[in-house]
Amino acid sequence: MSGGDPLAQSSSSEALIQARGLEKWYGHHPAVRGVDFDLGSGEFLTLFGPNGAGKTTLLKLLAGSLRPTRGEIRFARGDADDEHARRRRIGVLSHQTFLYGQLTADENLRFYGRLYELGDLDDRIDRMLSQVGLTRRRRDLVRTYSRGMQQRLALARTLLHDPEMVLLDEPYTGLDPHAAAMLRAVLEQLRDGHRTVVLVTHNLSQGLELADRVVVQVAGRWVSDEPRAQLDASTFEALYTERVGGTV
Amino acid sequence: MRDFARQSALIAHKDLLIELRSRERLVSTLTFAVLVAIVFSFALDPTVRPVRIAGAMVWVTILFAGMLGLGRSFTLEQEQDALVGLLLTPIGRGALYFGKFLANLALLVIAAVVVYLVYALFFQLSLGGAAAGLALVTFLGCVGFMALGTLFSAVAASTRLGDTLLPIVLLPLLIPIVVFGAGATQLLLIGRPLAEVGGNIRMLAAFDLIFVALCTTVFGTVVEE
Repeated sequence: MSGGDPLAQSSSSEALIQARGLEKWYGHHPAVRGVDFDLGSGEFLTLFGPNGAGKTTLLKLLAGSLRPTRGEIRFARGDADDEHARRRRIGVLSHQTFLYGQLTADENLRFYGRLYELGDLDDRIDRMLSQVGLTRRRRDLVRTYSRGMQQRLALARTLLHDPEMVLLDEPYTGLDPHAAAMLRAVLEQLRDGHRTVVLVTHNLSQGLELADRVVVQVAGRWVSDEPRAQLDASTFEALYTERVGGTV
Repeated sequence: MRDFARQSALIAHKDLLIELRSRERLVSTLTFAVLVAIVFSFALDPTVRPVRIAGAMVWVTILFAGMLGLGRSFTLEQEQDALVGLLLTPIGRGALYFGKFLANLALLVIAAVVVYLVYALFFQLSLGGAAAGLALVTFLGCVGFMALGTLFSAVAASTRLGDTLLPIVLLPLLIPIVVFGAGATQLLLIGRPLAEVGGNIRMLAAFDLIFVALCTTVFGTVVEE
């Protein structure tokens, strides 16, 4: 769908990000090819695709942890050209937690909070830990946490600096139903109309739940880019099967 | 500059706190140092006066013991992709490097003190008169060692060969540190005055400056994907 009209997709909201001619190659292997899109402020985009479709690579490009081989990503407003300022505007939650097992939850958040130079850090940490239900375990080493608890703490780390854009890479991986429900509740709160969210997932139902916009990426290309409102789950499942099956 | 110092201090504090909890590096480094001293005590020709070769023995032990702990410096950051998390924050790459360097240096200095004490015990070396000179030379040597070691442990951690690669790449680059460090240590241990090793000290300081400045600058390109 890279050839579609990306502006049309975000007409209801100001574009926070513009990606043009985005490509990422690893040697001779293209991970992202010819992707163009605008991402509106407050938009919740879910990116689906099979393994090896280049979804995580695209997320890394958006996060700024990878440089595109060709094309560019432009951030609207603020210090768009200042890399440090841009990093303050983005929060990333991956299936890896980015946390240190030998530190407590409190120490992990304090460490990241100080890297972001956050004011009222104590209040922020209290609020985030309460939001993810870990207040009582805040003084325990993270290595003693279950996978679900670690992922909830990772979510707190992601949101601690109140990022304008949140990138979520398979955040439900390895979570039990209780932890998944808690994660979903927090993600629901992110849909505040101001925060832009990009969620990468394999799980169709979880991905469709919160999305405003649904994209399918196959072999590095966007093969479908639809507003969520125009899709019901069964229609999308058929479309996904057709696009993935027909392209791979 | 204030940001650089603050961010470096945060990284160093975090690494040292983790080491304080796990004691993985210190225990393995110190155990290794003691074992090497024991091996030397058995392997050494009894007719050779240990003090004649003590400088070399001390520096070989410090280098290999330090190398043992270095590998852990960045594998710590690979667990749960913490390095990626760090790189997504507004921290400067130079500050990240310098913080890791400070933590590695602190641990190596502790190991070096223990190495001297062990050798003093095993080989009846007299450290008292030369303590200040030995401290200065050893500190400068450790700075150069860890400046390069921190950079190359980041390189090694990102490759499949990892710990195998680290000594192969690092040891040849450490030759200037060994030459001037072991030379000065040897002279001080046999009772020569500090003024006699002034040239070695200046050379060590010069290499330290070059290594630290160079590694702080290039670290960003090493860790960026």
